[in-house]
Amino acid sequence: MDAIEVNNLVKSFREKNKLIKAVDNISFSVKKGEIFGLLGPNGAGKTTTLNILNGLISKDSGEIKILGLDPEQNELNWESVKNKINVSTAYYSLSEQLTIRQNLKVYAMLYNIKNIQEKIDQLLQMFELKSLDNRKVVQLSSGEKTRVSLCKGFINDPEVLFLDECTVGLDPDIAEKTREIIRDYQEQKGTTIIFTSHYMYEVEELCNRIAFMNNGRIIKIDTAGNFKKLIKKTSIELTIKENYPALMKIMKERNIDILSTGTNTVVFEVSSSTDQLYKLMNMIFKAGVKISDMHMNKPTLEDIFIQFARKKQRVR
Amino acid sequence: MKWYRIKALLLKYFYISINSVDRWFDIFYWPVIDIFVWGFASFYIKELSNFNLLSVLMGGVILWIFVWKSSQDIATFVLEDFWARNLYNLFSSPMRISEHVTSIVLFAFIRGLISFCFLILLAFLLYSFNIFALPILFIAAAVFILSLFGWVIGLFVVSLILRFGQRIQILAWSIVWVVQPFSCVFYPLSSIPSWAKPIAIFLPTTYVFENMRAFFLEGRAINYGELLYSFILTLFLMIIVGFFLYRSYAKAKQSGMLAKGD
Repeated sequence: MDAIEVNNLVKSFREKNKLIKAVDNISFSVKKGEIFGLLGPNGAGKTTTLNILNGLISKDSGEIKILGLDPEQNELNWESVKNKINVSTAYYSLSEQLTIRQNLKVYAMLYNIKNIQEKIDQLLQMFELKSLDNRKVVQLSSGEKTRVSLCKGFINDPEVLFLDECTVGLDPDIAEKTREIIRDYQEQKGTTIIFTSHYMYEVEELCNRIAFMNNGRIIKIDTAGNFKKLIKKTSIELTIKENYPALMKIMKERNIDILSTGTNTVVFEVSSSTDQLYKLMNMIFKAGVKISDMHMNKPTLEDIFIQFARKKQRVR
Repeated sequence: MKWYRIKALLLKYFYISINSVDRWFDIFYWPVIDIFVWGFASFYIKELSNFNLLSVLMGGVILWIFVWKSSQDIATFVLEDFWARNLYNLFSSPMRISEHVTSIVLFAFIRGLISFCFLILLAFLLYSFNIFALPILFIAAAVFILSLFGWVIGLFVVSLILRFGQRIQILAWSIVWVVQPFSCVFYPLSSIPSWAKPIAIFLPTTYVFENMRAFFLEGRAINYGELLYSFILTLFLMIIVGFFLYRSYAKAKQSGMLAKGD
């Protein structure tokens, strides 16, 4: 059984008498224990999708199933589902007049957690907030608020966790630790996670599969590795010590796409297949070209993101 | 409805109250100002006309606290979640709207009760006014009807906030003061202009204050039939507001208001 099934989900909002489709007939499923990324530019429909899944927004049509239940069927199903899921986002704070500990206590009670103090201490330790536990949320930095929100997200040991831009505002060290915590936690508990982020490396590092969204539609679902294969070219920058003309001659003969040249540098593109690059480099060495430095820029998820975002068309 | 979730929310409002000086201010400051203003005003009226209105004015101030506190607290606690952008977290938890409403209503009632007790004590110490000169059954019925009516106003404002967002937040503080002049809190129904009478007659609060005045000024027995009518009227309004709230919640889910929180 999949942890989440979404079929033909549609959601529109009325803005200034215009109907805007925020989610346009999307379907996907997330396996139990999977970390599933939703990626896309602003307004792609990622957050609306998450908000439909956590019960904050009602759908226009389509079907959703979370942990085998259709929550829209009745209030009881929503209650049962919401007890087993949780959400953490950097954009919505907890009660600002309450201290971290007070906030977590309230949420622990809402989720009917046993051994509340023990659970809170464990989470505060995990997210390095122990020394701030009696500080009001309003007094915290945005990074600290984000960590409090993560504590809230983990308070009920959720079976499904929605993490919406949950590392925004964290300094790199804490962000890295947070990713580690998410990964370790997921491995230990087998939690299903739906993850959205603007940081491509983060999505690439954490997610088993990724859905690219744009204009309310899912453009493609695949692994980060397979997405990267979509960009077939790798760019290479060479700094030449000797015999620059011989290099340029080879480039011309082989019809290599030169992106830029300098007094002793050249940037060019080759097919990402290692075979072509190997042959080319072999020819360069045989021609007596001496290279002092070499940089290889492999395609990143960011390149794919930009490519998809600019295309704005369905390829699926 | 689950009691442990209501308890969690009650704890949240308790924490907000103890952590914020403004919330203490609400309970004591403005009600105390009212006690002084109306107490001194009654001295002046007595000086001019030899007519003692103290008991009527004090009774009005003390009982009105339930309409005022209930309505304002309900709207303010919901607004506070809007301001803190906390509705997102609350409504993504297993909490039901009915539990949210129950906890706010209960907490508003408790705060109203604290103000009420404090004012009773203060009015007694300052003016030797004893509210318990009124029959206990009347006081209990009045507290119940006025609180219920305060909840009606508060939940009506909450429904509007869920539909239109924070831009109508001014209603949270002002609507109760629009209702007050027509509730005949400090003067009899017979003294208000004829165009205002139908509004006053429609308001359940009018019957409570009319009975209190008749008891204090004329020594007339409480007309419990009128109070029953007042209760039924409030209940009717509560059912309508409950339905409106439910529709507004559905609308808020549809428009994404709960997720946006503004």
